[in-house]
Amino acid sequence: MERYDAIVIGGGHNGLVCAAYLARAGLRVVVLERRDVLGGAAVTEEIVPGFRFSVASYVVSLLRPEIVRDLELPRHGLAILPLDGTLTPLDDDYLWRVNDHGRTVRELRRWSLNDAEAYEEYSILMAQMARFIKPILSAVPADQGRIRPNEWVSLAPLARRFAALPRRLRDTFIQLMTMSAADFLDQWFETDPLKATMSASGVIGTFQGIRSPGTAYVLLHHYMGEIDGAFRAWGIPRGGTGGVSLSIASAARAQGAEIRMEATVASIDVQGGRTTGVTLESGETIAADAVLSSADPRVTFLDLIEPGELDGQFVEDVRRYRFRGSSGKVNLALDGLPDLTCLPGRGEHLRGAISFSPSIEYMERAYDDAKYGRFSQRPYIDAIIPTLVDPAMAPPGKHVMSCFVQYAPYHLADGALWDDAHRQAFRDTVIDTLAERAPNIRELIVGEQVLTPLDIEQRIGLSEGNIFQGELSLEQLFFNRPVPGWARYRTPVHGLWMCGSAAHPGGGLMGAPGRIAALEHLKSRSSR
Amino acid sequence: MRYDAIVAGGGHNGLVCAAVLARAGRRVVVLERRERTGGILDGVVSTVGRLRPALVAELDLERHGLELVRPEVRMLALRDDGPPIPFFADPARTAESLASVSAADAEAYPRFDAHVRVIARFLGELAEVTPPRLDAGALGDWQAGLRLVRAYRRLSARSARELTRALPMASADFVGEWFATDAVRGAVAARGSLFTAMGPWSAGTAAVLLADSAGNDGGAAGQTAFARGGPQALAAALEAAARAAGAEVRTGAAVERLLVRGGNVRGVALASGEEIEAPVVACGVDPKTVLTRWLDPEEAGPRLRWRAGNIRTPGATAVVDLTLSAEPEFAGVDDPALLGGRIVVAPGIDHVERAFDCWKYGQPSERPYLEATLADGRLHVLAQWVPHAADPDAVGDLVVAELERHAPGIGETVTDRSVLTPAGIERELGISGGHVYHAEPGLDQFFAWRPVLGLARHRLAVAGLYLCGSGAHPGGGVTGGPGRNAAREILAD
Repeated sequence: MERYDAIVIGGGHNGLVCAAYLARAGLRVVVLERRDVLGGAAVTEEIVPGFRFSVASYVVSLLRPEIVRDLELPRHGLAILPLDGTLTPLDDDYLWRVNDHGRTVRELRRWSLNDAEAYEEYSILMAQMARFIKPILSAVPADQGRIRPNEWVSLAPLARRFAALPRRLRDTFIQLMTMSAADFLDQWFETDPLKATMSASGVIGTFQGIRSPGTAYVLLHHYMGEIDGAFRAWGIPRGGTGGVSLSIASAARAQGAEIRMEATVASIDVQGGRTTGVTLESGETIAADAVLSSADPRVTFLDLIEPGELDGQFVEDVRRYRFRGSSGKVNLALDGLPDLTCLPGRGEHLRGAISFSPSIEYMERAYDDAKYGRFSQRPYIDAIIPTLVDPAMAPPGKHVMSCFVQYAPYHLADGALWDDAHRQAFRDTVIDTLAERAPNIRELIVGEQVLTPLDIEQRIGLSEGNIFQGELSLEQLFFNRPVPGWARYRTPVHGLWMCGSAAHPGGGLMGAPGRIAALEHLKSRSSR
Repeated sequence: MRYDAIVAGGGHNGLVCAAVLARAGRRVVVLERRERTGGILDGVVSTVGRLRPALVAELDLERHGLELVRPEVRMLALRDDGPPIPFFADPARTAESLASVSAADAEAYPRFDAHVRVIARFLGELAEVTPPRLDAGALGDWQAGLRLVRAYRRLSARSARELTRALPMASADFVGEWFATDAVRGAVAARGSLFTAMGPWSAGTAAVLLADSAGNDGGAAGQTAFARGGPQALAAALEAAARAAGAEVRTGAAVERLLVRGGNVRGVALASGEEIEAPVVACGVDPKTVLTRWLDPEEAGPRLRWRAGNIRTPGATAVVDLTLSAEPEFAGVDDPALLGGRIVVAPGIDHVERAFDCWKYGQPSERPYLEATLADGRLHVLAQWVPHAADPDAVGDLVVAELERHAPGIGETVTDRSVLTPAGIERELGISGGHVYHAEPGLDQFFAWRPVLGLARHRLAVAGLYLCGSGAHPGGGVTGGPGRNAAREILAD
């Protein structure tokens, strides 16, 4: 029987990053992926013949530059193409922000002189803030249940840096961690579509509205990408988001990691509180000293481990960890380009994100629908047309359009299930919403893929279709992610580790949980 | 006449601050704009159970006429689809009454009550300290820090983890983890929304809920204690305590602006033109009023004015006072003693959230969340959520219509009715936005950043200027905490 130093469950981007780091340190590693494609939620598939979709995750946001460097990802095929700007179509007008700061400010002057001026100040402040926050993404959370100084030592540099910040930035940091995106922006801006569109990025993937406290923090993410310097961290990967996963897989293999597909883990084997490896659905057992699971905690602890092996309190804590998927995805294969009524014709305005977020009230009403268990009657849609920057994704002259749609709650009112009828109704609502601003969209559609939260759960394996492997709400961050007392990638089972988005610092195509888990695991090995 | 300190605003916190200062030998004058002291004790709140027991002892309030009455029934949760559920001071008895609703909830209740008490006890400790400075460490900071570390260490590892997890939660989630029945969840969770502009699904409402039980014996059912003679009796006792210690109390004395010279406060100017001098001015009014209206813009500076202007004060509570010609008859209530505590209309999480939704879009809630108390033939009702400028008559009608669902015929017995909308509270009591807590108790205006970061240690922009009202840590609710903590800081300086 083969024996490995470590098994990584799940060939999503975090699992692959984790495996690459372990292999790089000389461990014998195998990655076990259930599907016949790699990438998890960062996956490219040809659903409609000739059209390749970034099925779930559709832009690179925060891929950690140290991972790109350490694993030499560009050498393994990673290329990030620019996604320039965000267009918010409105009834007779539009709001268009681009990466060129000067142009954006000129555009904002059309709306409000005050906002144009504030935008400069705001951008500088946010860039400073992002620079401060970044190290938190690489920090290992403390255990707040223990007062022993060595628990907190890892946080001391963060505390010192916080104390050394100018008051203005400290103030902003606290606001970002506690306020709603809309309230935070209210302090600067008055233009409704501007605030709605900016705050929309604060609620992506969460079951919160833009007026829900705790959503301001995500506003920073856009700025974090920008300060990574030479490497462009915000954009469309060549070949779709699957391109990112494949480059990481290539790097992992180059380091000697083995990657097996269609290898579904049936159980994590535990003996005397210690893992011995895994058993596959085929009945094959694979032995290893360590198992690092990039599956979410519900799958890892409730599905893959024998109920009796875990402490009852821990199981309760895993059960109450909240997923609450809130979004869906509609991928369209198009015969041509959509024609926006507010800005007709083709042009560079279509090359960035097209954000269907015309007003604060629109966003908030979309959320209210979801609170009571139905998908938004007029959803927030973040649409991009990757073929404009990466034409190879579709046959010549054709296009793909990726529509991230929020809100679509996993749990529907009155116990209804996401059946075909609901999926169809959801799809129609999305197309209707698009058609209000781009009436020719219906004629262009030559193929489509609709993913409800249930589809995301079943296809990608994310519980309740939560794209971040668990709600990114304040009580599920940092030392409480995923379970208080178990935020440091370790688990109550000896030798079993967590390395997916359910661990700090959470979801998004950043790879940080996979990397930190690998480094922590390596540290524990060397201290043994 | 020259004073050591002026207390601007004769609400409960101003009176507490004045009494503590006077007892320490300071010559103090309290200046109250209205003809009576008491602030929100005069017609807005009806329960006073959050008052710190230590303060009652320290100011000898019982000798000054305060008598606290604690009904055995804490809360009567009215429902749409069943008889009301009484919550008692004794958790075991509450569990009995829950048994008819849900066996699981009845079993969970005493454990939940204990859970709330453990976390609330820590918040009680937190309420006693002056928030530390978050930049350099001064000596006082270390003392406060040590006290908190000690309190934190007294928690078990599990409780400490649960504390950090609970505070930023939405009350709907916090309560939802324990109870299955919507009516139980709604009634227990709603308290996290009282006086706020946050529905039960808003993050941070669990902290508000827990703070309501901090430093008192509220537990899961919530504090419910009355002052005999009404809340005004507490104001009278506080005023008597202050006077007995030598403080002067002037009513009808509206402060218009602060007098500042060379970066030091030197007194206040009244609307009458009279100037009163003192090296210390402690403000019991809300921080937005102090920093954007009373303080000369040049002294505040543009940056502070901008920040103070952004202090969130979304008042959303209306007060409806109903005089009844007969005892109200609530459906399913056979024992009038059950009406002796808070009568709460919050029959479900979604129900309360929907009431909040209306407000978000500028509409009064069609079915508001109500907290009512009955005394001497008068029903005192707090209604959430009401837009700032709502029509008072329409609000009164809404409240009566909601009560009518639970006590059919009650409308017929209303002989007199007075309504204070948030705009009314702002006008009558001079609180920015009509926000009873002076500043929204959101996570962004909490502890060391209440009302804003850098001003949480009661000291405001210029030397000698202090904040002793609810806009300061530990915040709103009739605790007396801000007044007492501010007085301690003033004496330390």
